[in-house]
Amino acid sequence: MVHRLSVLAVCMVWPLIWVGGLVTTYDAGMAVPDWPGTYGYNLFLYPLDTWVLGPFDLFIEHGHRLLGAFVGFVAILIVIASLRYEPRKWVRGLSFALLLMVICQGLLGGMRVVLSDRTLAMVHGCVGPAFFSLCVAVSVITSRIWWRELGDDTVVSDIRKRHLLLAVLIISLSYTQILLGAKVRHVLPDALPADFTLTVAQHISVGIFLWVLSIFAFVGFRRCGDLTLFRPVYALLLSVTLQMTLGIGTWVVNYGWPGILGADFIRSIPGADEYLIQAKGFWDSIIVTAHVAVGSLILAISTMLALRVSRTHYLSNHLSTSKSLTESENAAVSTSNAFS
Amino acid sequence: MRDAESDVADVMFALFGTPSKPEWPTRLLPNTELVNIESLRRAAGNVSSEKDGTHLGLFREHCVVCHGISGHGGGPASQFQVPYPRDFRAGVFKWKLTDRSEKPTREDLRNLLVKGIPGTGMPSFSLLASEDLDALVDYVIYLAVRGEVERRLLVLSVAEMGYGGDKLAPEGRFTYKSDEAPDQVIVDTVQRVVQQWVSSKDKENQGDHTSSYPEGLDSDEAVERGRKWFHGKTANCVGCHGADGDGGIETLDYDDWTKEYTTKLGISPEDQVALQPFRDLGAHKPRPILPRKLRGGTLRGGNDPTRLFHLINQGIAGTPMPGVEVVEEGDGRGLTEDQIWDLVSFLRAINSSD
Repeated sequence: MVHRLSVLAVCMVWPLIWVGGLVTTYDAGMAVPDWPGTYGYNLFLYPLDTWVLGPFDLFIEHGHRLLGAFVGFVAILIVIASLRYEPRKWVRGLSFALLLMVICQGLLGGMRVVLSDRTLAMVHGCVGPAFFSLCVAVSVITSRIWWRELGDDTVVSDIRKRHLLLAVLIISLSYTQILLGAKVRHVLPDALPADFTLTVAQHISVGIFLWVLSIFAFVGFRRCGDLTLFRPVYALLLSVTLQMTLGIGTWVVNYGWPGILGADFIRSIPGADEYLIQAKGFWDSIIVTAHVAVGSLILAISTMLALRVSRTHYLSNHLSTSKSLTESENAAVSTSNAFS
Repeated sequence: MRDAESDVADVMFALFGTPSKPEWPTRLLPNTELVNIESLRRAAGNVSSEKDGTHLGLFREHCVVCHGISGHGGGPASQFQVPYPRDFRAGVFKWKLTDRSEKPTREDLRNLLVKGIPGTGMPSFSLLASEDLDALVDYVIYLAVRGEVERRLLVLSVAEMGYGGDKLAPEGRFTYKSDEAPDQVIVDTVQRVVQQWVSSKDKENQGDHTSSYPEGLDSDEAVERGRKWFHGKTANCVGCHGADGDGGIETLDYDDWTKEYTTKLGISPEDQVALQPFRDLGAHKPRPILPRKLRGGTLRGGNDPTRLFHLINQGIAGTPMPGVEVVEEGDGRGLTEDQIWDLVSFLRAINSSD
């Protein structure tokens, strides 16, 4: 049950990140000036026709709030389900952390509106992917795959410490990229050009490094013999490659082709010299928002990979010295099998 | 100098408020309608929107990341742009249908917002509501007037009022409070700057001699003749833009915004040490201005014949691109109207080739 609910949360949070991204892209964060209500109405009682047929800013901002509230309800259900069905204390703790985090995220969003503070908007934008990642984590540790090797006598995967280090490095860099990206996206009007340039340079450098690491991971995990690890790595490489493309697209639709690369270089790119930025263009907004959403997706995949790698690594070491399972693990297996 | 900055800042606050909370010195400008104060307030401040979808804080939403809060052209993303985003405070704008030394009309600014500048970081805002565009035009004019008045007062303070000297009597300092009569020098400065914009505004629907194209525009014969004028001594376009507009000529010249803190002060743009105090105050690192490669390249001001004619005739304000005088008969001092139209045909031909 906990697993099913956490998967439901994952499926709800990614669209929530998309809508939240659209809110920022369209500068609609202040479309509803009050909080927690919407123009004096209770959040859930705001007239449907006024919402759906109203201005686009209001539509996405109110929709973001509603979807966020429903994610909060799912988080409450996860806590209840974990208290009832989950024997592992640390997983129960994690479910509480999930609930606490969604509450904090809601408060951050509210404070961003009440105080009209762009910095809080940036923090809100950074906590969202972390929450998404936590939902994925709960989903992974309550899944059948988490327990699969415990039913066998052997662990087939050839996972070593370097794989674990690589996975940890990837998840760290994925989140670093989200922080740097948020700093670029929510740049304050009075920020110094040198600081902004430095942040952009860091964002690009870490992005390239992450892409190289994804290739390393792809090569390293290709022959590990475990599809549950290779598939996330494959998805990671695809996502990071897509993200690089979206990153270039995001820059171009926001700031044009960077003239500092030189006129001759720009002219060598087909269409670049005559490219005209279209402010508030629909597809432009989709590219920018997709860059935000795929960044969160990369963090989610990295989380899944890191958890599965650490689990496999743990089992490799554990089962090589002892073939027997602890009582608590056996209990957890049976509970998990019964309810997942 | 610090006194001058401080006193001028007080005067500016009393006259124009701040870029976030703008005011307009209506009291000093009787019978002058240049900007709408309600539009200014809509365009200024933090980004938000009203229940009906009306956006507020338009300048921060669309412009500030490149042009900066006060329109100084040093916004966070400015270093990535070539050329640098426009510094409105000098009151000089490139793309307009007024004379080189004149301010642009509202229609010029609006046209720029709608069409954008291809190949640069300046977007097209054609999807914005008409009233949003009007508010942005008002606000850009406000920033330009505010910035130019501030700069003129600073120059006056040092050059004529004795700021920076040993003895500056209290009665010799700039003072202006909203409930007092301002110094005459302040009134004169504000009115002089605003009047330049008003006189451009008056030309808005005046039309000009380039509103109708000659017969044979873009014909092969006109293009061939245009090629001749392009490479000729009078217009001498080839001297900067290269043979047939292929570019590749490095002039080592700079735009006027850069010259203000370099060559006009006797400082070499490459002298990093001498430039450092200006850089510390937010001045951009000088970049030589490169003549455009015209063949196959995008014409930043657009390839509309009327605008091209005007650009050739007036040059581009703020840049080394000179104008070509229109003369009755080609005598080496300038080109006739027909010859300039030939040049327009040539430019349009090489621009659409390749």
